[in-house]
Amino acid sequence: MSVDINAYSIVVVDDDPAVTKALSRLLSVNGWRVETFASAEAFLAAREPDAAGCLVLDVNLPGLDGLALQQRLRESGEDLPIVFLTGHGDIPMSVRAMKAGAADFLTKPVGGEALDAALRAAIEAHASQQRHLGDTRTLRKRLEALTPREQEVLAEIVAGKLNKQIAFDLGIVEQTVKYHRARIMERMQAKSVAELMHIVARAQSA
Amino acid sequence: MPHTHFTSRLTARAWLRVAIALFTVAVVVPAFGAETRNVLVIFSDNRLLPANLEADQALRDAIVGSEERPVELFAEFLDRSHFNGDAYEATLATYLREKYAKRLPNVIVTGGTYALAFITRKRAVTFPDVPVVFLGIAVDEWQAMQPQPPEILGVPMQFDYPTSVAAVLRLHPGTKHFVTVTGNSTAFDRESEREMRMATVQFGPGIEVEHIERLPTADVLLRLKSLGPHTVVYTPGYFSDGDGRYFSPRESAQLMAEAAAAPVYGPFSTFLGTGVVGGVMPSYSAMAQQGADIVNELLEGVPPASITLPSQTPAVMQIDWRQARRWGIKEEQLPPDTIVHFRQPTFWETYRNSALIALAVMLLQTGLILALLYERRLQRRTAAALEASEQRTLLAARTARISDWVWNVGGERANGDVARELPHTLLSQEPAAVDLARVLESAHPADRERLARAVAQAVADDGELNVEYRLMQGEQVSWFAARGRLDPENRQRLRGVATDITQRKVAELQAEQDRAALGHMTRVSLLGQLSASIAHQLNQPLAAILGNAEAAQKMLQRADVDLEELREICNDIVTEDNRAAQVIRRLGALYRRDERELRPVDINELIHETLELLHSDLVTRHVTVATDVAATLAPVEGERVQLQQVFMNLIVNAADALATVPEPDRALTVRTQMNGDTVQIDVVDAGLGIAGDALDRIFDMFWTSKTGGMGIGLAICCTIVSAHGGTLTAANNPAKGATFRVSLPVRAA
Repeated sequence: MSVDINAYSIVVVDDDPAVTKALSRLLSVNGWRVETFASAEAFLAAREPDAAGCLVLDVNLPGLDGLALQQRLRESGEDLPIVFLTGHGDIPMSVRAMKAGAADFLTKPVGGEALDAALRAAIEAHASQQRHLGDTRTLRKRLEALTPREQEVLAEIVAGKLNKQIAFDLGIVEQTVKYHRARIMERMQAKSVAELMHIVARAQSA
Repeated sequence: MPHTHFTSRLTARAWLRVAIALFTVAVVVPAFGAETRNVLVIFSDNRLLPANLEADQALRDAIVGSEERPVELFAEFLDRSHFNGDAYEATLATYLREKYAKRLPNVIVTGGTYALAFITRKRAVTFPDVPVVFLGIAVDEWQAMQPQPPEILGVPMQFDYPTSVAAVLRLHPGTKHFVTVTGNSTAFDRESEREMRMATVQFGPGIEVEHIERLPTADVLLRLKSLGPHTVVYTPGYFSDGDGRYFSPRESAQLMAEAAAAPVYGPFSTFLGTGVVGGVMPSYSAMAQQGADIVNELLEGVPPASITLPSQTPAVMQIDWRQARRWGIKEEQLPPDTIVHFRQPTFWETYRNSALIALAVMLLQTGLILALLYERRLQRRTAAALEASEQRTLLAARTARISDWVWNVGGERANGDVARELPHTLLSQEPAAVDLARVLESAHPADRERLARAVAQAVADDGELNVEYRLMQGEQVSWFAARGRLDPENRQRLRGVATDITQRKVAELQAEQDRAALGHMTRVSLLGQLSASIAHQLNQPLAAILGNAEAAQKMLQRADVDLEELREICNDIVTEDNRAAQVIRRLGALYRRDERELRPVDINELIHETLELLHSDLVTRHVTVATDVAATLAPVEGERVQLQQVFMNLIVNAADALATVPEPDRALTVRTQMNGDTVQIDVVDAGLGIAGDALDRIFDMFWTSKTGGMGIGLAICCTIVSAHGGTLTAANNPAKGATFRVSLPVRAA
């Protein structure tokens, strides 16, 4: 799947104007739309929420640093992919960034191709994730549309219980369980129990 | 009475006296003329009789003449003991008359009984009118010879044997045996025998009296030898002994005194000195003196009858002191008017003056010797002390590696050689003057100007020279510290002492190197800690360069190349490259060992650069740095890198101090300002400050408040600042945090 880079805007946050200028030039030449900010605070003040694209973020920023910005964005539900760019990255720093959902952690100086690839991968991954996130929302709506009894049965199914056990747990007959089960599969548009369980997991994970 | 044969002629003599008296004036007066007067002395015995000698001498001394009327004294000796009789006397009279016919005596003096008797008998046929002065006539004799004409006159002697014997016994109170000795045949001897017997009649029964009479001398002496204690011998002496041998009384007395086992006394003063103790004796010299007085009066023309005569010749106790001592006679036993002869004067009395002089000389000598000894001792001591002092000085000088020198700073040439004068010759001898030019020549080229300046200064100010310089001796270089002053006596010369301080200098150099090494080590270690930040510093420009370069590449692939853009890109690349190069250069300087070169340093710029270097580190630690620098700051002189190390250290420390403070409060201020002649750099943090007890110790080596800290950083900072003549102090801020203040002296213009 190729990324239509025109659809995305790259935001570069670095306190070094020379670096932002160079990166801006490089990214522009490669066809990206680029925005630059000298600090996290400046970015936060000027950003458009839910803007599509990628954040190229220097770890070492005066005031709010890269990792802190990442944290802040996550907390506010923003899921803009972040490619960290650092003058000197150490392992604990990169681990922390990746765990917090960074798309990549690059070390300056970074070549144009490497940066380009990282950005595309990040955007693609984000788009894919975004799609999954879209499914989840539907699934959640479908889950919410189930009757309370159906939800109870679904929970038993996800727990891996057999119809007989479910019937016993809920105090209903096995035939009724089978009926609910069919109904749930239909409503959740699941072709198999495995798919059902995956759908439930995804819906709940979001 | 002695001389009894005179007695029979008394009548005739009286007559004669009358006859003579008639002529006296007529005959005697013309005899006195302007010419020489003659005195004829006639002695009874031979010439050598002690009494005669004594009397003769006394007469010669006492009879005085004058220029106009000189007196001549003639002596005749009748030798009565050997010759006598009428024929002898007749011959003698003729002889005298003939002999003195041309020298008619003006006065005749007789000595002894016989001489008087002779002249009395023969006066008429010899010198009829000449006055006669007699000597040595006992009182009773004289009485027996009366009457006599007035021209025969004199003082009779008192021979009082009983008195004399009694006086002797008083000297020997315990006497039990009294021995008298008399001779054999002469009138004198016979008379003496009689006198002795008479004198001892008075003795009481307690004293046994023994008369030794007319015995041969040998027997006499034998007897005397065998005398027991408490015995006293008295003898007038004798002329002849039992063998018919002749003596003088004195000789006989001497023999007796030598032989006797008891003290021997006698009546004649001539006995004194022979061993005889003494006795009551008339003095022959006193007698002669009396006689001489009469003779003088007669010679002056006084008529004999008008001459006042003393009644007698005094007889007193006379003692030979040596004999008195021998026989145990004490001085207090002697009668008060005793004449003591031969008193052996004590050594003191004899040699009083000599002794005094000798003593004085000895004392002087002793004093001199003592003084000399003392002087010598002092000298030796002084010499020893001097030597010891010299030794000590030499040792001290050697130990301290001191030498003294004289530099000739004036015009005239000096001969001294630096090489010979300088190292460690010392102080015991005057160093030869060395020309300043030669001194300078021998100094290390780098030190010559300084040395010359210091000398010139000392000469100009008449102040103290105090300079350290290197001396080149071939390959060898030694450091010397020279201190000196102008010689006040010769202002062409500078005099002083040089200390070889090579060892100290080497140690100083070593210490300096050690310190520099430690400084370098801590700096490198600090840079290690900052490696992330440094990498960041380097990677920023590299990133910019790479980005720009690739952008340019891409742009060049396009058809429409924006040249303006490209130019800008290239400019940026160059700029960033320079920036990277600068970082590397600065880092390189920080990593290098010290260049130890003093340069003017702009502190503001250095602070700026340091903050740049630390920028990313401070950012990482969320430390906000504010700078408050003076608009103009005088440069200080120093080693830039070392000073930067100080600021780096202080700033990093401050950042460390802020680690425990919430991020927004992590504020750090670097402030520079002028304060008089010093530049002050304050690094102020808003941390927790320094614990009170730590404030005193933070600059100590190996003291640290940080876990994992070495406690070297601040100590090194302190050393560096001190080496720059500055101070580094720390104080807590009133509100919070601490301030480290570096004060550096402004570079001298």
